[in-house]
Amino acid sequence: MMGTALSRWTMSYFTAALAFLVGAQVLMIAGYGFPAVPAEAPETLTLVHMVTIGWLSLLMCGALFQFVPVLIAQPLRGGRLVLPALICLLSGLAFLLAGFLQLAGTIDTDLPLLAVAGMLLPAGFLLVVGVLVGTLLRANLTLPARFVAAGLACVLVTVTLGALFALLLSGFLPALAGLDFRTHALPVHIAVGLGGWLTFTAIGVSYRLLPMFMLSPDGERASSRVVWWSGIAALVLIALASPIVAMVEGTGLMATPDTATGLAATLGLVSLILYGVDLAFFYRHRKRRVIELNSRAAQGALLALILSALLLLALLATGTLGQHVGALLYLVAFGWLSGLGLSQLYKIVPFLTWLECYGPVMGKKPTPRVQDLVVERRDRVWFALYFLGVLSGTGALLVNQPDVFRVAAGATLLATLAIVVELVLARRLYNVEDGKRLPDGTSRPRLFLPSP
Amino acid sequence: MTQPHYELDVRPILREGGEPFLAVMQAVDALAPGQSLRLLATFKPIPLFHVLGSRGFEPTAREIGNGDWEVIFTPTESQSGGEASQAESANNRVDKADEAWPEPVIELNNCDLDPPEPMVRTLEGVETLSPGQTLAALLPREPLFLFKELESRGHLWRGSFDPEGHYRIVIRRG
Repeated sequence: MMGTALSRWTMSYFTAALAFLVGAQVLMIAGYGFPAVPAEAPETLTLVHMVTIGWLSLLMCGALFQFVPVLIAQPLRGGRLVLPALICLLSGLAFLLAGFLQLAGTIDTDLPLLAVAGMLLPAGFLLVVGVLVGTLLRANLTLPARFVAAGLACVLVTVTLGALFALLLSGFLPALAGLDFRTHALPVHIAVGLGGWLTFTAIGVSYRLLPMFMLSPDGERASSRVVWWSGIAALVLIALASPIVAMVEGTGLMATPDTATGLAATLGLVSLILYGVDLAFFYRHRKRRVIELNSRAAQGALLALILSALLLLALLATGTLGQHVGALLYLVAFGWLSGLGLSQLYKIVPFLTWLECYGPVMGKKPTPRVQDLVVERRDRVWFALYFLGVLSGTGALLVNQPDVFRVAAGATLLATLAIVVELVLARRLYNVEDGKRLPDGTSRPRLFLPSP
Repeated sequence: MTQPHYELDVRPILREGGEPFLAVMQAVDALAPGQSLRLLATFKPIPLFHVLGSRGFEPTAREIGNGDWEVIFTPTESQSGGEASQAESANNRVDKADEAWPEPVIELNNCDLDPPEPMVRTLEGVETLSPGQTLAALLPREPLFLFKELESRGHLWRGSFDPEGHYRIVIRRG
């Protein structure tokens, strides 16, 4: 273990995250939740939060603990809180899922499970945000770090609304029971969670990570600044749509929430298009001629992001957004966010494993290359299968074919499991030649716990 | 100084397009106190004169035909005091005045390497230095992981960004 540059608990976050990803996919194949039951059914909520909190948020938190210090070249501040945060998040999520099962009638108990989740999850995310913001405050923020900071603000908004829902559903806060949360707050919870916390943060991290591993010029670009401003404007509009409309109507002008949502969608689209332009620039101007599998697979995720934007436009144009929102969210969560997550894990896990194992003898002894920890040729097919599965699944949802969806989800699960196995093999140094595996002075990294 | 020269012929390495620097430094490390190094090369190795001069060796070079050169590096008086005391005095100099860092004996450009290669090459270079010597490396970005490694190995460093956004680090072996 070299100094404090390696985040101690990141692998534990990743492991928990992957377990939830696999678990959620197994439930989908079993026909649990949407599309077999409505999108707002408790069974679907169970599934959705396994993916968004269990998989994507834990993945993002684990990655940020490692990469925020790299983004701003400052050590992590308050690293002792990282493990308590994980414990709060995992236990909070367990209560949340149990609470949904209680609503579904699967669990019969009088305990206020959702209310407990409504305390533990905010506590966990507050600890995460506290550590990361405390670290970010020490530096002048570069553009990628500003995206992350905005994402952290968004997770607080998302989790606050989520906690309010949890308390309302548990029968607490009777004073607020008269408000129509489903109409006013739920869209904000979804849009700020997926668009702000997960997407904005992922954009920020990718602005640094992709150029770093493709050796592209990573100076701040004017288009990136437009991505930032239009993205922020879109998020603020979405978060404040209802109050803004109320204010505009107060001045006697006509306005509907659709006006604000339409404007937010337009700004969000501008943001995404320019983000695509920036990424195309990184790929075109890379010094690394041979592109590695993680960067290649990230292209699949970007394609899914573009398709998501086009699908949103098509659904808005045909007035069928309400009907097909499940398919859109599936494509965003599994194509874009999970696709990007898995592709970057495929680089991050071997890279961190390499540093952990070979860092102490670097320059003193011959070491394998980072690329020797994986076998890219073997794994290409899994990423291809993954994205094919997601695209077919989205198509199946759009044409209401739940059985086809389950087959497609099966392909996605198979690919996910294969990638997980490859990550385990990388941690185990399985693909490294016997003679080079453990030179004197190195020790084998643990699978998902920090070195002693 | 009656002991024989330590012989090192780097011509085969050079003819194959290789880089003999490591072999030379290893040979220097293997010298007995007071022993000189007889080096055979395919050109007059001027850069080495500077590198080994800073380690207390005086070069005598002569052409031996076919464009090949023989250089004998003889340890000077000041070197015989031993490396430890030399390193200690270097340390003191640095503590007293910042400008006392010696000129880098190795210059590396690691900008176009794939991570973590810039760090690996830099540390490989550092391993060939004697205590108190410095190495300069140009890196694609501020090397957070390298700092931690240098710290844990007891080396000192200074760094800053150049106008192109690369990070130039000078490392002084501890």
